[in-house]
Amino acid sequence: MRFPTVAVQGLTSCFGCQLTLLNCEAELEEIAERFLFVSFPMASSREERCATLDVALVEGAVSSPEDLETVLRLRSRTRILVAFGTCAMWGGIAAMSNGLSRASLVSEVYGAERDVVSFHPQPLERFISVDFALPGCPPEKHEILQLLGALLRGTLPVFPRYPVCMECRMREQRCLLIEDDLPCLGPLTQGGCNARCPSISIPCEGCRGPVAEANAASQSDLLAEKGHLADAVASRTGRFCREWNCERGY
Amino acid sequence: MSAVIELAPLTRIEGHGKVFVHLAGSRVVKVQLALTEPPRLFEALLLGKRYDEIPDIVCRICSICSTVHRVTALQAIERAFGLEVSEQTRLYRELAVIGGHIESHALHLFLLVLPDILGVSGFQELARTDPEGLGSGLRIKRVGNLIQERVGGRVIHPVNLLVAGIGKPPAREHLLEIKEALQEILPEVSVVWKRFLPKKASSPPADWLAIAGGTEFPLFGTMVRWRGGVFDSRQYRDRIVEKVTPHSHAKLVTVDGAFPTVGALARLQNDIVLPQGAADAFAAAFAGSPEDAGMMANPLGQAIELVAAVERGIALVDELLEETHVREYPFPVEARAGEGSAAAEAPRGLLIHHYGFDSRGVCTKAEIITPTALNQGGLERDLLHRAKSFEKAPEQEMKRELEILVRAYDPCISCAVHVIPAGDADV
Repeated sequence: MRFPTVAVQGLTSCFGCQLTLLNCEAELEEIAERFLFVSFPMASSREERCATLDVALVEGAVSSPEDLETVLRLRSRTRILVAFGTCAMWGGIAAMSNGLSRASLVSEVYGAERDVVSFHPQPLERFISVDFALPGCPPEKHEILQLLGALLRGTLPVFPRYPVCMECRMREQRCLLIEDDLPCLGPLTQGGCNARCPSISIPCEGCRGPVAEANAASQSDLLAEKGHLADAVASRTGRFCREWNCERGY
Repeated sequence: MSAVIELAPLTRIEGHGKVFVHLAGSRVVKVQLALTEPPRLFEALLLGKRYDEIPDIVCRICSICSTVHRVTALQAIERAFGLEVSEQTRLYRELAVIGGHIESHALHLFLLVLPDILGVSGFQELARTDPEGLGSGLRIKRVGNLIQERVGGRVIHPVNLLVAGIGKPPAREHLLEIKEALQEILPEVSVVWKRFLPKKASSPPADWLAIAGGTEFPLFGTMVRWRGGVFDSRQYRDRIVEKVTPHSHAKLVTVDGAFPTVGALARLQNDIVLPQGAADAFAAAFAGSPEDAGMMANPLGQAIELVAAVERGIALVDELLEETHVREYPFPVEARAGEGSAAAEAPRGLLIHHYGFDSRGVCTKAEIITPTALNQGGLERDLLHRAKSFEKAPEQEMKRELEILVRAYDPCISCAVHVIPAGDADV
């Protein structure tokens, strides 16, 4: 039997998506048995630079020439390239100030005397074609495992395309948005986390990015009606993704 | 005749880094540690955000340390507004951070360091050559994550720890679940150190920097121990100086002109009273002063801390179970203009957060000093020392030894590239 070859790579990110894979403590030994990790710098010093890859899990946004080079090289030798997490899929937390000048942000932190090459962090699909995505900051373990399981059978999983709100209602929880007037982004956000945060009374922060047909305008109106200030709403909805009225084809 | 040996990329560490060894003939003349993580610019991202957004954003600096980043930010914000949180909140926060230490140390020891000891490349080979070792590490790691999930609401980037309180406290049965899990791994954890005894190696003397201890395992506090004395971490600007370097995306940090060393070993230098099991393990493992071993013994220090963290975790859960458990809610926060800083012990060492706010509670100033940034100068110094002692050895051997040393420091490079804004830093 041939084991699927896998690369796991981080770009501009916190390494949390890769850590979530390593956090599958109960399954990690079996994962090690069934896949061949030919490149996983965070967890292994094995590096086969030229091996053909069945799967590449790419975490993080692209914000430097090195990131771009890494992702282009991976794309050219990978059959299924997966945007691993919200940064890779939508830009994520690093991209939230993309409306400001990158040069001024850089000199704010490093000073004017240091020449640091950095451009606006952007999702992978701006540079390469992406075959599949796991949203989430970080992604849920069960979705990673479903993906790996499907890959072993030569296919990709089908995740439901409904919002966090739907899962929250299925759990019959008190509505933080309607009943408590909290700025919950559940109606806009791709489900799959089983309403993780609202289920402990924490309003959804939208970490999984937009669901298909998210109605951001209506949500903004509703929050304005409830007395939330426009700039606070803009800041909150722009934390992980700056364009809510768009969809991904993968 | 000169040449450069390059270790790139550094593997089995978190983040992107490289080491360059500069040779003149066969002599090592210079070693450069380049933390090449793409700039993340978190301090700049935080400006203009309301105080309650800060913890959500700042924990995304780093996944492994997300809980301690969040808790440190909460404390700094509360100090800026002059708030005092309840005892219950303090206990939950400490428990969450303890969970982070257990997870981080287990990850580092078993998935990142153990492969070096067994001469394999990573967890995939470990699963074949040492399934018991890997399995034991994963069992310990799982308990750390269980704590973070139950208390923080999520393993990575917790959501349940809030300004002025905690969201939904864990149910009694979850506290019991945590206690049981901690008790279950305690015997296993108590002998972990035996696997991580360092090889004999000389190393340059280090200047340790850690939060000054009272009587117990100190994770939070304002005073830090430095060269036999203490100073107030809130005055860090007078003591800690940063310099932008051309080869690295992290700034070089000095304290009073010397390179500080932070982390498990620095904490164990403190005159703290370890819980019984950890104290026994410490006495057996070090049999003398840990200082002699240098940072090559840092993984050993982490193994001792694992015992201390498990014991402290059990004690914390007991305290939380004793409470009559009146559900507390975060109290209303009144924002005001001011600045606040907080220091904590992250798994990798001292961490300082400092924020300034205007009267609406909007962030006007953000500074974050991370353990890996603090350790960078000391690591470079030790790398040079080590490279020199392997001058005559084959290149592959030198490379391997240097990588082992880098891993002993347990650098977390995602964190390290966020440091004091350069504007008024002393360059």
